[in-house]
Amino acid sequence: MSDIKERSPNELVLFGIIGGLLGIYLTYILPALGMQISGNVGELLNVIAPTFGALGGICAVMWGADAVRRVAKYGLGTGVPSIGQIAMGMGIIAAMFGLAIVQTKILAGPIVALVTASIIGFIIGWFAQNVIKMKIPVMIRCMTEIAASGTIIIIGFSAAVAGNFEFANIVKLVFDNGVMLAVFWVGAVAMLHPFNACLGPDERQKRLLYLAGSTGAITMAIMGIAATMTLGASGVITLVLGIVLWVIFYKKFWDEVYHDAASVVGTGLIPKTEA
Amino acid sequence: MVAIDPTLLTNIFLIGLSGTLVCLAVHFIPVGGAPAAMAQATGIGTGTVELAAGSGLVGLITASYMYAYEPLADIPLVMAAGAMGSMVMLASTMFAGSLIYAYGVAVPFASAQVKKDPITGDRQDLYISKGTQGQGIPTICFVSGVVGAALGGAGGGLIYFVLMDLYKPLLSMTSAFAVAGVFTMGVMYVNSVIPSYGVGGTIEGVHDPKFRRVVGKDVITSFFVSILCGLLAVLIAGGMSV
Repeated sequence: MSDIKERSPNELVLFGIIGGLLGIYLTYILPALGMQISGNVGELLNVIAPTFGALGGICAVMWGADAVRRVAKYGLGTGVPSIGQIAMGMGIIAAMFGLAIVQTKILAGPIVALVTASIIGFIIGWFAQNVIKMKIPVMIRCMTEIAASGTIIIIGFSAAVAGNFEFANIVKLVFDNGVMLAVFWVGAVAMLHPFNACLGPDERQKRLLYLAGSTGAITMAIMGIAATMTLGASGVITLVLGIVLWVIFYKKFWDEVYHDAASVVGTGLIPKTEA
Repeated sequence: MVAIDPTLLTNIFLIGLSGTLVCLAVHFIPVGGAPAAMAQATGIGTGTVELAAGSGLVGLITASYMYAYEPLADIPLVMAAGAMGSMVMLASTMFAGSLIYAYGVAVPFASAQVKKDPITGDRQDLYISKGTQGQGIPTICFVSGVVGAALGGAGGGLIYFVLMDLYKPLLSMTSAFAVAGVFTMGVMYVNSVIPSYGVGGTIEGVHDPKFRRVVGKDVITSFFVSILCGLLAVLIAGGMSV
């Protein structure tokens, strides 16, 4: 089925990096704008700002899910979940490093984290390819992409809970109360689940991307619950928007499943007696 | 930024060493993956990462408990606490699994990789069902798994101890615990996935011929990656001291 048009990896890389970083930086820029504009508009900007971090996270989830798809197609031998976990492992190390090392130059944080994650991913990919000899041609590139998207997922969803991406603030509002574990785990599942669920013959990118959108939106809703605790009103917006996005993406995924299936029939309940 | 001095180099080296311990630990644990879940291969019926992380994280909890409540805790004590937690966790997992394999699935425990169990000396090949790679968790796998868990837990405890010493002066106690714990978790996940790529998903333990074939290159990979993680951890401490 080569006539199906797919989004190229480069498009998704751009979508993930630009969308992710845009969302993350908006959590910082909007409150700064809000300070300039007085009155209700300024307050509104302050309240909705953290939500954009989660939206950036969803962009990164869709990118990461596609990168997982490209590398896991070759058969890793360990199941798809392992790659989601290594992604978050690399992502969290790079995110903490990037956000902490810049000290007062907060704006540089996410970019430093992204670059660090790419370097760690590249090194692990290189070792996997040349020392462990996994013989997967896309290993180095995909490992780099997976680590980079993992770090954007972590920073994006953390920013949605903490309000911005200043390291001291994230430590106080995300690490101390243990929300980081939820970011880690739910983020990892959001990234690995789409391919884990869709793999097999007739697996299609469009269906996978919609499912990635829906897992990302579930993550956003869960972060909304956490943010209600830390930020109040902003959390409610994240929660409600997350649920709305989840319904939309899941409906689209549902439609794709119906579209791809030869036919969908009800089998009824299992008969009580053998015929 | 931080100046280079012997303590920092030691810290980086210790984090590298502990990551390598976690990597080495995975090779000892009898991981059967999906085939073992259907009792068609020797080992515990789940993935490498889940087992290594599960036992490693319990080790992390016991290590941090020791660190927090024993004021005189030094490196060997914290590592021993971590090792103990991991061993208890993995041994109970294997024991519960064995009960199900023996009384639920009703298979005799046998390894397909060796003719005789190196510990008990019992014949193995007679008891293997046709078309399978062994079943259940024989004595050698159980012992190898417990040894592996001890290594993994000790590794986790070591990273945690080093990181706590780095971060404690810079952050409040709660934050230092959280940051060190999460960083340890990150290093642990990276180092439990690397060997699982090396072994290709399944390994029976120390007696498996695969062990000797892959352990070298996995440990080298893990050591370099962990040294990099250690470097980042030390630099984070430099970034915190504004």
